[in-house]
Amino acid sequence: MNKYLFIFISFIAFSCANESDPEADKSNFVRIYDSNRYNASFNPIDMQQTPDGGYLFLGSRRLAESNFSGVYLMKVDELGAFVSEQLVDEEYLNPVGDLLFLNDKYYFFCMAAVSFQTQLIEVDTDGAIIEVYNVGGSYPTAAAADGSNFILLGYDNGSKESVLSIVNETGSVLQATGYSVGAGDAVEEPIINHFLRTGRQFPFQVGKTSGGQYFYNGFYNYTFSLVFTDLGGGGLGVVQGQQDDGGLSRVIQLNGNTYATARFNFGDNYFLPNTSLNTSGISSSTDLGGFSLPELVRNAPVKILVSKINEKDVILYASNTKSGQIGIYVYDQSTGEFLGSKYLGFSNPFEVNSIIHTADDGIAIGATTYVTGRFPRITLFKLSTEELSAIF
Amino acid sequence: MLALLILSSTLYAQSQRKPPAGFKKKVKQQQNSFLDKQWWIGLKIGPNLTKATPETRYSVLTPTNYALPITDKKYDGFKKLGSQATLEITFNYKGIGFSFQPTYRLSRFTYTNEFMWDNPENAAEMLELKYDHELRVDYADLPLIVKYDITGNTLRPYVQGGIFYSMLVNANKTVEISGTDFASGGTNALSSEPVIVGAKDLFHKSYWGLMAGAGLHYNLGNVRLVFDASYRIGMSNVTDTKNRFSNDRLSGIGDALDDMKTDNIVLSIGCLFPMRFLSTSFKSIDR
Repeated sequence: MNKYLFIFISFIAFSCANESDPEADKSNFVRIYDSNRYNASFNPIDMQQTPDGGYLFLGSRRLAESNFSGVYLMKVDELGAFVSEQLVDEEYLNPVGDLLFLNDKYYFFCMAAVSFQTQLIEVDTDGAIIEVYNVGGSYPTAAAADGSNFILLGYDNGSKESVLSIVNETGSVLQATGYSVGAGDAVEEPIINHFLRTGRQFPFQVGKTSGGQYFYNGFYNYTFSLVFTDLGGGGLGVVQGQQDDGGLSRVIQLNGNTYATARFNFGDNYFLPNTSLNTSGISSSTDLGGFSLPELVRNAPVKILVSKINEKDVILYASNTKSGQIGIYVYDQSTGEFLGSKYLGFSNPFEVNSIIHTADDGIAIGATTYVTGRFPRITLFKLSTEELSAIF
Repeated sequence: MLALLILSSTLYAQSQRKPPAGFKKKVKQQQNSFLDKQWWIGLKIGPNLTKATPETRYSVLTPTNYALPITDKKYDGFKKLGSQATLEITFNYKGIGFSFQPTYRLSRFTYTNEFMWDNPENAAEMLELKYDHELRVDYADLPLIVKYDITGNTLRPYVQGGIFYSMLVNANKTVEISGTDFASGGTNALSSEPVIVGAKDLFHKSYWGLMAGAGLHYNLGNVRLVFDASYRIGMSNVTDTKNRFSNDRLSGIGDALDDMKTDNIVLSIGCLFPMRFLSTSFKSIDR
């Protein structure tokens, strides 16, 4: 009798075992980082997972005394709990992604408040500023890592050029090439509105292909274009948009001339999970076609991540829906076939800002939400492999 | 005439036959022995009250410039009435009952969050919001209880204790948001339609606990009326730790369930019927 009672009680205790699981808590959570200041506004720009498992955010914040956004850094732990924040001095403005990792330190570009010259800021894993380097040039728009150097895209409003630079970790410009955006004030207006955040936010991007070509997604010859260049005298490859009404939203090289990309055109949005781009000569983004995504907001920002789910190589697209959610769309990397989707957020609107892999093979998404519908705040979605596997 | 005499004498003789010595005592002993064991079956219904006790706190909204405990949920203990219906099957042996009481139970409990955003440099910029959360959780309870009749005959108080295993059947959550907006040109009371969401995924499929209580049996004719009160202590976490953030609607408004255990005060009245009879006219419960 005692034996059966023991077995019965053991069964009950086992089947009800449901204690806190720190591993589950780390792999899957949602956090909205809130300030109780009514007039505060925070938007994430990029983030990195730090070696301790936590997350370091580069963000922007509203400044009362400037038309430009200020710099905000925030460190959270592996559970998403808030650790520290840096409201960086208003001497530094207009931070741009990516948040770059090099030699156990993190770097990002911004510009000085008075001179508008580009600055390179070095921070530790907790987001504390270690050093500030004056880079020169002006109006940084995008950055990427390139081995032990950085690739920087900026705008020179004096010469009206998009400037592609190679910068080392102490802020020295090793090489720089300018590309004319065109003459006249009309072409400059949307660029300045982008910086002042009074107009459309353009999906500036910079990078380097596996073949050694540099590319930038920015203004060239009156048009928002994807420009491939060797930074020298070689010819350019230009995928033209439609002045400032069309172009590519994001570009990720898969291999050779095959890219996963997205494009916008007069408000419409298209995904191209597996397409060939002409990296030489001139072509038009409108000829690329793509899957139409009418559920997305006009000229939606798009983030793309090459990943593996359920042992399948996939491409994740993340973008903003008209219903205020973040849509995640999964495509087969080799065929471009649509596999499934998942939507994050409800009630308050959410906007995607960055998407990264995490050490546990999940993903983390940095986003902006509007708490109570009015306060822009940084949000972190951490999705586990199990949750990703459930998409398809 | 002769025939009538024979018949009447025969009936008289029969009416005068006496039982053997000790027969009545033996019958009573047999009846008592029979009544030492009894099966009872019946139905009980009644209200219950629930208190949730947080073990580990969780929140989607994570403060960066104010104290984390401000985001803590404030639980209301034993505030909302739930209800339950129970099928009781009890085997009684010499005043001790072994009872299995499968129950369908609706439990309700509530908690609140309050937030405020202001601007020290501009007193007019202030917003206060209160989130009222109500959880309605249906469980199928499987309790095993030992009851002990203290004393008495017609009115029999008893005490009881046992263990229960509860299986989740369904759960819903209602969130009402109210507050005051001081920033939109005046003092404006805010209220919104309740957000009602299915919350079954947020709860673990089962939990277990211990219970103790007391009650009264009132023997009425061949049935037993019962009033029963018990306190149930949840011994395991009722929240599904893996699905805490799975509900986008709730995450979107900054809510995630804490790890918590729930206690219940359960009151029931009902009627039990004996399953063993000596005869159709036998009043088993008055012996």
